[in-house]
Amino acid sequence: MFFWQKTKKNAPQPRGLDDLNPSLEINLHWLKADILASDETIVYRRFKTSGAKARDCVLVYADNMVKHEFLSQFVLRPMMQSSPPKHLRGEELIRYLSANVIESDGSELVARYGEIGDKIMNGVAVLLVDGCPLGIAVDAKGWPKRAVTEPPSESVVRGPRTGFSEDLGVNISLVRLKLSSPNFKTRFLYVGTQTKTKVAILYLDNVTSLDLVEEVARRIDAIEIDAVLDSGYIQEMIRDAPYSPFPTIGHTERPDVAAAKILEGRVAVLVDGSPFALTVPYLLVEAFQVNEDYYNQWMVGSFHRLIRYISYFITTSTPAIYIALISYHPQLIPTNLVVSISASRKNVPFPGIVEVILMGLVFEILREGGVRLPRPIGQAISIVGAIVLGEAAVSASLVSAPMIIVVGVTGVAGFVNPALNDIAVLIRLLFVFLAAGLGLYGYVFGTIAIVLLLSSMESFGVPYLSTMTTIRPQDIKDTVVRVPWWQMRLRPRYLATKDRQRLQRRTGSKGP
Amino acid sequence: MRRGFPRLLSLLLVTALLTGCWDHIEIEALEFAFGLGVDQVEPDYVVVVEMVKTSGGGQQAEVEPLVLATKGKSVSAAGRSLSNPAGLRAFWPHAYVFLMSEQVAREGIVPAVENIVRSRYIRSTVWVFITKDCTAEEVFKSKPPAANSVSEHLNAIALMQETISGFIPLQVWQLSQAFAAEGIAAILPTVKLVHEQGDLVPIVEGTAVFKGDRMVGWLDGHESDILCLLKGIIQRCYFVIDTKVGENEFFPITYELVGNRVEIKPQDKDGKLSVSIALDLHFSVEEMGRAPYSFRDEAFARSVQAQLATAFTHWIREFLSKTQQEYNADILGFGQLVRRKEPQVWRRLGENWDVHFRDLPVDLEVKCKVTMAGLSSEPLRVRE
Repeated sequence: MFFWQKTKKNAPQPRGLDDLNPSLEINLHWLKADILASDETIVYRRFKTSGAKARDCVLVYADNMVKHEFLSQFVLRPMMQSSPPKHLRGEELIRYLSANVIESDGSELVARYGEIGDKIMNGVAVLLVDGCPLGIAVDAKGWPKRAVTEPPSESVVRGPRTGFSEDLGVNISLVRLKLSSPNFKTRFLYVGTQTKTKVAILYLDNVTSLDLVEEVARRIDAIEIDAVLDSGYIQEMIRDAPYSPFPTIGHTERPDVAAAKILEGRVAVLVDGSPFALTVPYLLVEAFQVNEDYYNQWMVGSFHRLIRYISYFITTSTPAIYIALISYHPQLIPTNLVVSISASRKNVPFPGIVEVILMGLVFEILREGGVRLPRPIGQAISIVGAIVLGEAAVSASLVSAPMIIVVGVTGVAGFVNPALNDIAVLIRLLFVFLAAGLGLYGYVFGTIAIVLLLSSMESFGVPYLSTMTTIRPQDIKDTVVRVPWWQMRLRPRYLATKDRQRLQRRTGSKGP
Repeated sequence: MRRGFPRLLSLLLVTALLTGCWDHIEIEALEFAFGLGVDQVEPDYVVVVEMVKTSGGGQQAEVEPLVLATKGKSVSAAGRSLSNPAGLRAFWPHAYVFLMSEQVAREGIVPAVENIVRSRYIRSTVWVFITKDCTAEEVFKSKPPAANSVSEHLNAIALMQETISGFIPLQVWQLSQAFAAEGIAAILPTVKLVHEQGDLVPIVEGTAVFKGDRMVGWLDGHESDILCLLKGIIQRCYFVIDTKVGENEFFPITYELVGNRVEIKPQDKDGKLSVSIALDLHFSVEEMGRAPYSFRDEAFARSVQAQLATAFTHWIREFLSKTQQEYNADILGFGQLVRRKEPQVWRRLGENWDVHFRDLPVDLEVKCKVTMAGLSSEPLRVRE
């Protein structure tokens, strides 16, 4: 009936679970015809051992996924020079070669076609010997890797410059360098029916609640998806409150941030191929915390944090309050200002709400354009956008001059909190519509709705607003302000369930 | 729960949205009224409005004042005729001043101010003035040198009251209190026009004296300063007094009032009521001109203080006779004091207070002291 049903009927049985055949030629045939068929990057290197009874061997690997010098020097040369005893055959021969000839730290025996395919795809070379139903997998991973560089999305003035790269092993070691303790644990999971992407769960045994670790593992295990190309896939699949715009899982590109979160009792999830580590649980306060707060002097850090809170208020509320004031409550604006706003709006054809949405749209377009374009062009775009469009729009009486200020301030303040900037756009829009319909009254309703939403949310069992709504002194020490390190004696109550002690005793130069 | 939820939601929305009153109006559709004046009450109200006309848009926004006079059966009815035929939507919450002409004030201000006190659009912080020798319309059409509009100009002056003196400003919220209080007559500041380089410029100077809600007379700027002094209002007034220096030489010396303490006490002696006023005034010398004397000379300082006391006693006597005999308006609130301190006497005399007030004996004791002489106690000496 349908063509795929026909093809399915005639398809050969998959060989993945079959054991290897003692005959090298048959093994090669199946590899070429089935397991690794139609893949021209696979290299089959034939050679023979020396000695009286030379054995036929084949080294199979994927081109550019392995270290060629390593294979030549530590696999091919010793094999060619070796002369295994005549009486050895089959499994014994393979064990002899693995134990006495191959000079590699990572080698294991493989018995199935499917295993060989997986290994080769992951940069492992497989050695097959005629007469043996086993192969030797030699770890020679050597694909091109990006160097450890400063993360572009989270640059700091003061603080470590290392950022995660795409390699899972490297990333784990970067975190381990920060937390070199036997209590630092990692657990591997594999996600993706096609990609079998390796996912690592990182935590501190003596701090983190094991229930949390189990919950994270359970959620990741439950994912059934064909491919995981970035940690964003996992982030969306395991998050709480999936219909809420607020993030309930944090992500960072910095090993120091990941280590700090783990130290507070969180769990970090690293995904192979993604330079972004996920951290759970994620609370709203974290969106306003930046690693530099902790590296700078505490007063400076606290001030910057306050600026972030104020900026978020500005970026979400300015247009709404402006609309409410000019359309409903002109009596609340100082007289001089109200006259000049009125004058500047005299010939503008649109009501305030249309102006806000129009200019907000233009701003978002410019931003998106600037982000996607190569950096030099992006800068040009933003300058053209800011100066030319703004000026022209005002002199053409399309928008009023105060609106340019409102939109500009709103946009710039949004960049202060990158973690919440995308949501800020949505909140802003909601507030603007409410303010346009009901004035300040509507704006207040919107705020109440957002607070209700936030207080109903949870992230991995932890209330989303915890530490923001508490009055316990230890819990609010790292919220709106960042108190000095010698004051933060305990880890957050909601996260670290085992060992809450952060400072062992009263230390520091001026501990009270 | 499932069935109850929509009902609960609609109930919430209804209670939230159908309360209060507010209206959507775009800001550019409004014309901001800055000043309101009432020039005539009988037979028709003549109401003058100063608003600012905004025009332009884009980067060349312009603001200019616009004065319109309308007629109507009441203040609010006249105000309405701004919309039709004038075609303007006046917005009142930003108004600064409310003016009444002398004619309105003499006929009684209640019909003119009732609407202002009641209105929910006009703020209670609006300044109230009486125009002297001119109408409100003339004042609004005059040309202030610095401000965009007359209302802003008057507002700026009213705010500087402490340093410029010569009047006692009053806002709408104080009106009812000022006119309703027993035993004290109301006063309102006055606005008049002066010629200044070819332009008519409105200034705030002097006081209109009321009896009930009808105006009975004027006080000029100097008399208003004396009034402030006696009311204990701190104003940094300047007094230029021809001071006798040495034998028979007089020099105008400028004194600034820097502190005053007033004590007014009613006394009831053998059924005879009198009021005693004790004044303790502190001055600083602002300008001595050519007067050659040093304030280190104690005799001179004493003589100056004595002369000040004499001058002030004279002025206050004049002021009292004007209010008692000429206007017969108890603007200092002697009646109020009697009522508070000597209730029995008030019960006896309150009915005919006007008559008793006219001939009320006042004991006056003025003490003056020069406490500061600026940065130099010596006169500026010039080599002959």
